[in-house]
Amino acid sequence: MTTSLGLNPESPTHPFPSLQSALSDTAESLSSDLLSSSPIPTLVLDHSLAIRCVSDGLLGVLGGRGREQLLGSHVDAIFDPKLPLPPLAVIREALSTAEKTKRLHKLNHVQPDGRTAWSIRCLPIFRHGTLRCIQMELYDTTEDYLKQLELEERITTNETFRILVETVRDYAIFMLDPKGNVATWNAGAEFFKGWKREEIVGRHFSNFYGKEDRDNDKPGRELRDAIRDGRCEDEGWRYRKDGSRFWANVVITPVYRGDTLIGFSKVTRDLTERRRAEEKLVSAFEEASKLKSEFLANMSHEIRTPMHGMLSALTLLLDTQLNPEQLDLAKVIQESGEVLLQVINDILDYSKLASGSFSVSSDIISVTDIIQSVFRSYEKCHTPDIVLESNLDPRLPKAAEGDSLRYRQIVQNLMSNATKFTEDGYVQVNAHLQEEDDDSYLILTEVIDTGIGIPPAASSSLFTPFTQFDNSATKRYKGTGLGLSICKSLAELLGGHIGFRPNPGGRGSIFWFTARLKKIKQLKHLETSQDQSRALAVSTPATPIEDIKLAAVNRSVLLAEDNQINQKVMIKMLSGLGFDDIDLANDGREAVNMAVEHSPPYDIILMDINMPLLDGVTAAKEIRFASIHSPVIAMTANALKGHAESYIAKGMTDYISKPVDRKHLVKILLNCLNQGGLQSSHEPR
Amino acid sequence: MSIPGASDSIDAATFEQILEMDDDEDEREFSKSIVYDFFTQAQSTFDKMDDKIKNKDLKTLSELGHFLKGSSATLGLTKVKDSCEKIQHYGQMKDETGTRDLSSDSEALEKVMRTVEQAKREFEDVEKVLKKFYHDEA
Repeated sequence: MTTSLGLNPESPTHPFPSLQSALSDTAESLSSDLLSSSPIPTLVLDHSLAIRCVSDGLLGVLGGRGREQLLGSHVDAIFDPKLPLPPLAVIREALSTAEKTKRLHKLNHVQPDGRTAWSIRCLPIFRHGTLRCIQMELYDTTEDYLKQLELEERITTNETFRILVETVRDYAIFMLDPKGNVATWNAGAEFFKGWKREEIVGRHFSNFYGKEDRDNDKPGRELRDAIRDGRCEDEGWRYRKDGSRFWANVVITPVYRGDTLIGFSKVTRDLTERRRAEEKLVSAFEEASKLKSEFLANMSHEIRTPMHGMLSALTLLLDTQLNPEQLDLAKVIQESGEVLLQVINDILDYSKLASGSFSVSSDIISVTDIIQSVFRSYEKCHTPDIVLESNLDPRLPKAAEGDSLRYRQIVQNLMSNATKFTEDGYVQVNAHLQEEDDDSYLILTEVIDTGIGIPPAASSSLFTPFTQFDNSATKRYKGTGLGLSICKSLAELLGGHIGFRPNPGGRGSIFWFTARLKKIKQLKHLETSQDQSRALAVSTPATPIEDIKLAAVNRSVLLAEDNQINQKVMIKMLSGLGFDDIDLANDGREAVNMAVEHSPPYDIILMDINMPLLDGVTAAKEIRFASIHSPVIAMTANALKGHAESYIAKGMTDYISKPVDRKHLVKILLNCLNQGGLQSSHEPR
Repeated sequence: MSIPGASDSIDAATFEQILEMDDDEDEREFSKSIVYDFFTQAQSTFDKMDDKIKNKDLKTLSELGHFLKGSSATLGLTKVKDSCEKIQHYGQMKDETGTRDLSSDSEALEKVMRTVEQAKREFEDVEKVLKKFYHDEA
């Protein structure tokens, strides 16, 4: 690179020689000092290229060589290839060009390794047409050079990216300004959004969203999310210019320059095909799984019918005169048949659970009652080598909402496993209230045994369908290997979990499950009234029987009961408690008529649930409908207390299970009469 | 008060409650009348059941089961009560605990038949025990 500075090498002649000489002296020493002390590596060479002046800057680069040593020597002596200086050939070229052109010559040189760069500046000074001297300056431009390189690279990269982005057709990639207006548009965007660049640039990107999304300000929300999280990704329907839609994956990223948001990049992919494929796969899978479950359910059902026939016939056969050998064989058939039936029932349950057609009903459940009832059934038939124990948390709710049948099924199954695999020691059932909040209870139920236990390797697959942990056990112990997986599904349907851990006593297993039961709002008054009656019992030293005999005076009772034996017993019991005004209804219809006509209303109505013509629940409803507020006590022989308690939710005041326990009846009557006494507006007769 | 030979067929607490209603412990007029009423009721109910089995009327069989369950429960006649409850469930096409559905009418009817026979046997057993208790073994 050659630059003319327009410098006149012929100095103007000064008008005053003496002054000129004085000045010249000063100027000469000044310029010599200036050159010597310059931090820029500088050389002054005479016409024969001998060194006449060296700057401090150059001495620094040369490292250690003294100025005196260099002065007078040829320029070639300085440019040792070992030093980080331009090579001698380049220097020579620069000098000869400067001499030839008689102008300032500038030359840039980059070392072959690319790590250092020099800018060489040669100024030839001629006097009267002959070369007097050459000033050579060497600038280290490495830093500038690197910057330049970087800049060039960046420009190339940007250009590459721009071309990439603009031409890619599988993705819509474009920029939004900070307000969400489209700023750039690529071929992909044009291709699957249908808008041309000139049509869309400057318009808001919410044009790609459906009406519902726009109404919810989803586009605005996405920009805010992107700023907050640094990125926002969404999958959903987006709309083309022609109104057709496609399933899109969208990523929005905010773009900053420094700290200023300059916009957002938005990348949209069309996933319609993928989604369609996924949907196809899912529906195919669901269909297959449904068919499988249906097949299982149908098969099980079909097998069950003849099985029942066989087993019934077998029972009859066992009642006939059989010789001992025949009896043995028949018993084998019976036992195997029963196992088979259990297997089929399990499969039926399992396939119902698997196909999701297993519904959970919501009735009133008392954990204590269920466990006691299951416990009793095992108490009857357990071997004397096993001790059966139960620990029930007194805080367990007396009544809560849940599926009592499913709960019972889990307890029964765990108990049956425990007793099956335990030959001696104990089997224990524990139930605790684990958590309680405003709406629900979480009940933890554990079945602990000292049986054969579960080897650690098998514990992970315990709840997997059709697995029994030990093949040899299968031979000794009957079963489908479905029980626990059914329990697991049931526990999950009840809003809980199921699990296993070894018995810390060293032998046997602990199986536990949790179930979430809803609280019943209607029952609150019952519990508080029971509390009141307890308080009452404390405050009065008299026995409940004496209390009721006092309370019964002049009270009228309607007894609705269709069974004459129960009528007689109830009337006898009531009159024994001091009631002498007892009317009798033989069915629900009669009960309603009598309750409505009786004036003033009865003080107590005792209502059997299953009655001809009109059942107790409907009768109670009709009585309430006629604005008669007498307490109605349901009497029920239903096995599950839970069912009975649901009657309270249906308008009954309280309930009592059959056979009617006198003490319990007294308690309930006292409750009703005391409450009735507070509420009733009529005078006792 | 224990009833000889009735350890598992009669619930002592429930039956005692009936006995306590007797004004005179020697006469036992009330409880005896109830028990003998029950004998009559049970016999007539079993007759009706046999009839309904012939007609394959499961619904009525279930109702009859429930009916007799009520009075046998009141007297604490546990075994008869349990069988009646089964009849009630079978009549509704459920299994003996009322948990699962039965597969067919014929299966339900088959079970009802067997259980009615069982209930009759249990009733006869408890009838003997009670008659003995009331010194009426003639």
